[in-house]
Amino acid sequence: MIILVLFPILNTIYISFLSSKGEFVGLDNYADVMESKDIFDLEGFPKRPPLGAFIHNMIWIFIHLPLSIVSGLILAIILRDVKGSSVVKTLVFLGMVTPMVVGGLLIRYTFEKDVGIVNGLLSFVGLGNLARSWTAYPDTALFALIFGSVWLWTGFSMILYSAGLATIPKDYYEAAKIDGAGVFKTFFRITLPLLRPITVTVVTMTILYELKIFDVVLVATYGGPGKASSVLAFQMWLYAFMYFQFNRAAVVASLLTVLTTIVTIPMIRFVVKR
Amino acid sequence: MVTKVEVSIAVLVLIAIIVSGVALGYSLSILGKLDELTRNMADLTTSMIDLTEAMTDIADKIGASLDTINTIQSRLTEVEGKLTPTITVIGPWSGPEMDKFLPVLARFEALTGINVRYKVYRAEELATLLPAQFAAGTAPGDVIFMWGWFIAENAENGHVMEVTDLIDESKFLSGSLDAVKVNDKLYGCAYTGKVKPGFWYRKSFFTANGLTEPKTWNEFLTLLDTLKTLGLEHPIASGDEIGWPLSDITEHFLITFGGPELQLQLIDGTASWTQDPVRGIFEDYLVPLLDAGYFSEPIEWTTALDLWWQGDYALYFMGSWITGMVDDPSDLGVFSLPGCEGLVFAADYFFIPKYTQYPNEAKELFKFLASSEAQRLQVAQGGHIATNIEVSLDSYPEVDRIVANLTVGKAVLPDLDDSIGGEFQATFWDQLKLLWVSPQSLDEVLQNIEAVAP
Repeated sequence: MIILVLFPILNTIYISFLSSKGEFVGLDNYADVMESKDIFDLEGFPKRPPLGAFIHNMIWIFIHLPLSIVSGLILAIILRDVKGSSVVKTLVFLGMVTPMVVGGLLIRYTFEKDVGIVNGLLSFVGLGNLARSWTAYPDTALFALIFGSVWLWTGFSMILYSAGLATIPKDYYEAAKIDGAGVFKTFFRITLPLLRPITVTVVTMTILYELKIFDVVLVATYGGPGKASSVLAFQMWLYAFMYFQFNRAAVVASLLTVLTTIVTIPMIRFVVKR
Repeated sequence: MVTKVEVSIAVLVLIAIIVSGVALGYSLSILGKLDELTRNMADLTTSMIDLTEAMTDIADKIGASLDTINTIQSRLTEVEGKLTPTITVIGPWSGPEMDKFLPVLARFEALTGINVRYKVYRAEELATLLPAQFAAGTAPGDVIFMWGWFIAENAENGHVMEVTDLIDESKFLSGSLDAVKVNDKLYGCAYTGKVKPGFWYRKSFFTANGLTEPKTWNEFLTLLDTLKTLGLEHPIASGDEIGWPLSDITEHFLITFGGPELQLQLIDGTASWTQDPVRGIFEDYLVPLLDAGYFSEPIEWTTALDLWWQGDYALYFMGSWITGMVDDPSDLGVFSLPGCEGLVFAADYFFIPKYTQYPNEAKELFKFLASSEAQRLQVAQGGHIATNIEVSLDSYPEVDRIVANLTVGKAVLPDLDDSIGGEFQATFWDQLKLLWVSPQSLDEVLQNIEAVAP
């Protein structure tokens, strides 16, 4: 634990305070990175992406989090007592076990103009004039990645919610039915509150996934065009292994460490409290 | 009175007695011989058993000897292995490209008795691997193919072996080793390379539609218009990967309209991206073509290759490696932009890391890969152009000979982004992807490139 986790974290933070020549420079690297358009690019806002890797991560969370959680929950409820639902669940969960690199390729080709299924569907419904390579344009690349990756993560929330639903005693629902509670009332008064521990876990894990998203971006768009789909983890990789600016990469890595820690605290507190 | 019948019977009885006596005697004689034969057989069996035992004994002794021989042989191999170590070459070629490279290594093994192991790593993968390895004082291979700028940068940091004495620079294409030179000392060498000659087309398509190669810029524009009237929405396929196919097209425009010297000025940072002539070339030549939709959106480059080959696009800007990627290379035609006086030559650079365990063997392989013999072997299989000038045009397959011939009379130039590398390269690729789908963003694109240019 100390060698594999603690030391790398502390050493990364240490490197983030050094210049490329190894001299201590205080917060200079942090100022340099935070001021760069790579992380925040809000000049002329509102505008189309690029808005900076940090903002892109936030957009990712804002769209991807509710979509993947709600779709996972709906699927779990719909498939709860359905015969043969395991087949559907397996298909949905397939996205979860698919390597992210393969997921990135799937997204890329899904949105490709000439061979993509999205444009095929558009043509099928008579909107062929809208066909384009969605990942190639700055105004749609990020959103194509986000929407495309919902399937990759929905399986996670669906499986956890399915497990959570199985633990709710059927007596509760029968009692609610006798009391005359409708479907929505039952859902909001019984199901959702009892799924709260699951929701905390799913939300935390999903945000962590969205913060560290990398492979999909690398394979599908390489952060482009014009950095329109870059995210923090990808920017960190660019700094380290394309620009060979390890100190700047350490700054982004430290920033990601702080963000993931902040996200994890509520879950830890919840678990401890219980 | 004795009758005749009685006499006859007596004679017959007598004859029978005589015959029986003779038969009995003969039978007794045979029985004696059988007895003798049985005894002999018993002796023979005993001898056979003795012989079998003796042979088993001999076989055991031979087996023991064979074991001893095998042990000696394996020890000899072990000792031989220590005397002739296996060195590791890391290169980017896999699949059919690797199949064309392995015979070169096999030839080296046959010539020197040094064993070579080949590992496939792309430059992008090595970029994540080598810095950490070098920092730890190790290297994953003894001879490594990598970007020229990366070799030069790591030579300055002391991670690369100097090879000035191993090769004769005058035997290489002029300027082809500049990328791996630091303070007039060589730290790497150019193996073969690929030319980026211009726009490829299918001869059969041009013939069927009565098209010819353009000789002027206006003819080029006319050709594009004609292609559109033939029903091609976008006449030129734009390949995409991480951006390099678009950078190749852009460099070709810059060299054609700014001259070969502009490419060199951009590499050493003496020309600006936001001012003329660079800005003018974008504004007057490239952006109008993008605006008019002559280029397709960026498409994954191997997919674009398939679409172009099947006729969805008429032209495709790509390097000479395309000759090894199509079903019928004899149907390939290629032309540069009219007036182009320089062609980009992207060499495959290789070097010896300072941390090699077998420096002498690595040097031997280094010298071999730089030699005309190795390069001749490689180019003969197609898709490569030699950097060693002692390799004659006769060594090439026909289609590659045409490509090699295209370089005659033209300046051979280093690849712009490969020469600079780092932040510039990634930004250049990314910004061009933006320009391709948003030509009105020209100013933003050029400013972003200028911000990271040398």
